[in-house]
Amino acid sequence: MKKWLKIILIIAVVGIFAGAGTVYYIFNMPHRDVEHEKLAYTIEASMLYSEYSNNEEAGNSKFGNKVIQVSGKIAEISRDAYQVSITLADPMEGVNCALDSITIVDNKAFVESLKENDTITLKGKCDGFDMIMGVVLTRCYIVK
Amino acid sequence: MKSRIILVLIFACLSIGMQAQKYITKTGTIEIFSETPMFTIEGINRKVASVINVETGDVVASTLVRSFKFKEALVEEHFNENYIESDKFPKSIFKGKIMNIDKIDFSKDGSYEITFEGKLTIHGTTNYIKEKGNLTIKEGVITVIVDFSVSLKAYKIKVEKSYEDAIKDDILLKIHFDYKPYNKKK
Repeated sequence: MKKWLKIILIIAVVGIFAGAGTVYYIFNMPHRDVEHEKLAYTIEASMLYSEYSNNEEAGNSKFGNKVIQVSGKIAEISRDAYQVSITLADPMEGVNCALDSITIVDNKAFVESLKENDTITLKGKCDGFDMIMGVVLTRCYIVK
Repeated sequence: MKSRIILVLIFACLSIGMQAQKYITKTGTIEIFSETPMFTIEGINRKVASVINVETGDVVASTLVRSFKFKEALVEEHFNENYIESDKFPKSIFKGKIMNIDKIDFSKDGSYEITFEGKLTIHGTTNYIKEKGNLTIKEGVITVIVDFSVSLKAYKIKVEKSYEDAIKDDILLKIHFDYKPYNKKK
């Protein structure tokens, strides 16, 4: 009788831990590590824009949701309370990159010093092509 | 010769006038929100672009759905893969009009209730919407704040039976745009 109860108790306890562990994992699964993910492509900002504007679908299947590295001249930079956005190549026909908050904190002085016409290299997740913003990259990290 | 100069002047004035008609933002935000006793979903997208023509009231807004960020990575994965299907339908677009634009004086600071209507495309499905919002003019910046709900069913977004109690059909969208005058450079 006692042995029987013990086994049930052990199973129950193990079950509870496994269940709690699964729930904990689901809610705390790490976000995609864009900073350290292997690069799918390294490309000039103006080239990336023209690939997308020539054929958006082909652009999406090549670059969509991939981590890519782009370099180019800063055409526009906008800073507000929530984010820093850098547009490379051209304000309307370029690559719009939203910096990740971690990179802003880690490179505070550098991000503050950035201005139009500076050349920069960024690494980020390619979200696609927008008629107003151009190619959009989010969670961008400063490479140099 | 004189008439040519006048013509050039007229064109210059016209183009200046035309520049001031349009306002733009590339850092608008959309927050999506769903709350049930079982589960709260919150996502935010800070890369929403929009152009507003203050003469005609025409509004265009667009965003890439992959730019939405969620607190839980797993929710973000499900959002992209199972619900909004961002590989198949990478963008959401609104094209419409502010109906009472002629009542708004853009030359001075003020706050107005606006009614807008138009076509909203989400998940490759387009619906006609008519909603209310608020428009504020302050120091040359036009701020538009709009809250409204969209039905998942109306946009053909399927929720698995087992999640029906956890995810509401009505998803609240909280939209915030700060428009600045649009000057095409160079």
